[in-house]
Amino acid sequence: MVFPNGTVALKEANLEVAPGEFISLIGPSGCGKTTLLRLLADLIKPTAGTIYIGGKTPEEARKARAYGYVFQAPTLMEWRTVLANVMLPLEIMGFPPAERKARAERMLELVGLERFARHYPWQLSGGMQQRVSIARALAFDPHLLFMDEPFGALDEITRENLNLELLRLWRETGKTVIFVTHSIPEAVFLSTRIVVMTPRPGKIEAIIPVDLPQPRSFETRELPEFFRLATEVREALRRGHGYEVAE
Amino acid sequence: MLVVALVVLALYWPIMYLVNIPAAQRALDTGAALPCKTAFECASQLRSPVLPSPQQLWDGFLSLMFPLNSPNAIPLNAAVTALETLVGLLLAAAVGLFFAVGMVASRAFERALLPWIVASQTVPIIAIAPMLVVVLGQYGVQGWLPKAIIAAYIAFFPITIGVAKGLQSPDPLALDLFRTYNASPWQTYLRLRLPASVPYLFTALKVAMTAALIGAIVAEISTISFQGIGKMLAENSRASDVVAMWVIMFASAALGILLVAAVGWLERLLTPWRQAQVAPRSKAPPARQEVRA
Repeated sequence: MVFPNGTVALKEANLEVAPGEFISLIGPSGCGKTTLLRLLADLIKPTAGTIYIGGKTPEEARKARAYGYVFQAPTLMEWRTVLANVMLPLEIMGFPPAERKARAERMLELVGLERFARHYPWQLSGGMQQRVSIARALAFDPHLLFMDEPFGALDEITRENLNLELLRLWRETGKTVIFVTHSIPEAVFLSTRIVVMTPRPGKIEAIIPVDLPQPRSFETRELPEFFRLATEVREALRRGHGYEVAE
Repeated sequence: MLVVALVVLALYWPIMYLVNIPAAQRALDTGAALPCKTAFECASQLRSPVLPSPQQLWDGFLSLMFPLNSPNAIPLNAAVTALETLVGLLLAAAVGLFFAVGMVASRAFERALLPWIVASQTVPIIAIAPMLVVVLGQYGVQGWLPKAIIAAYIAFFPITIGVAKGLQSPDPLALDLFRTYNASPWQTYLRLRLPASVPYLFTALKVAMTAALIGAIVAEISTISFQGIGKMLAENSRASDVVAMWVIMFASAALGILLVAAVGWLERLLTPWRQAQVAPRSKAPPARQEVRA
């Protein structure tokens, strides 16, 4: 992936993802992980190479509404209530009105916010807003969920709770998740595989399978295996100069 | 608001005496038959005062307010001016919305049009108003409508700029979000750009409302008018009735406050989600009472 100004954002990225996987893309700023996600989502076009999503090109997949996208910020419409925000994609995609409401209510239950359906976004905390955004991405039942540092702006405690909740959602819905993060513990805790990316130019340094037992819980973070995997990710990042090393 | 009014009133008396006493002295010196003896006494009773006394303003107010349905009283004329202003604002909103949508949709449209829009606003309204009335008169447009059109002429500018800004206000991520939904441009407009521009529209409407009111009054003054605040100002100016001029000025100020307040009221009605954002109230439930000793 080369930008018009000549910046090579992403050079080598070969990756195959099976249905039902939870893949984390991890790496420092500027390693192309968000670029990779935006390529998958057809928010930008690749300058070379091919991507297939269930046999479709990203553009076909986008037009078939095959994925839901959760951004770094909740990007809720401030003039819509929480419920109406979750109904937004359903309106655009032409679901019948009764089904919109039923689906949106079910999604809010799934993220535990059914009591806040009539609230406006500003009345919710940052973590709750991001949960609404996840409910919105799942409302039209896509097979794929793309998440671009969805919890990056939240405090550690909220983030760990949402990590657990996300895993529960993943188990219950059986979605394939591609999750961008720059937090090593988050990547290890959530993923079935971790894709370690390194910058200048962006490339995939290593792909690390995570075989921590499912379902994961708060105790998972205390397993020796958890620390071994975190160390493995850290070392892969260092190999690819993923750290800004003082010389 | 009340405090400001009291301060102004407290300052008004001494200033009124200060500026009126020399005029009163001159009137006494001419030996005219006056109902007062000293300059101080006469200062609050001059026929053409530099500043009218509060008593004169009040008397003038009463004589200009009643009877309520008199063609020479304020209520009927203010209503006519308000109508011209409101119709003008609606016209301006329609034109402004059209230009704003065009400018956001096409850079070429913006580049071609914006200089002309700006130029249109730098022409003195007092110069263009009589000409517009002549042109419109050719096509049988007469009475209050030309004044509304002149009001619209100066009110559409802030609306154009405000709405254009509002339509461009959505976060790039929100636009990406609509792209992931494969939303049509029309859906993106209806569900993202337009609602996002509503707060900007209301801010622009408040600015445009005052501009439209001034436009309507100036149009009434500078053309042949049989009704309206501007017509009253022109008449009383010819009659050199200083007190009446002051009263009408205050009346038009009050009308302006009323009209802008109406926009604010409409805004609260149509943007319920912004209420408490502007003035946050406690959103947390009241703290649970601690019953243990």
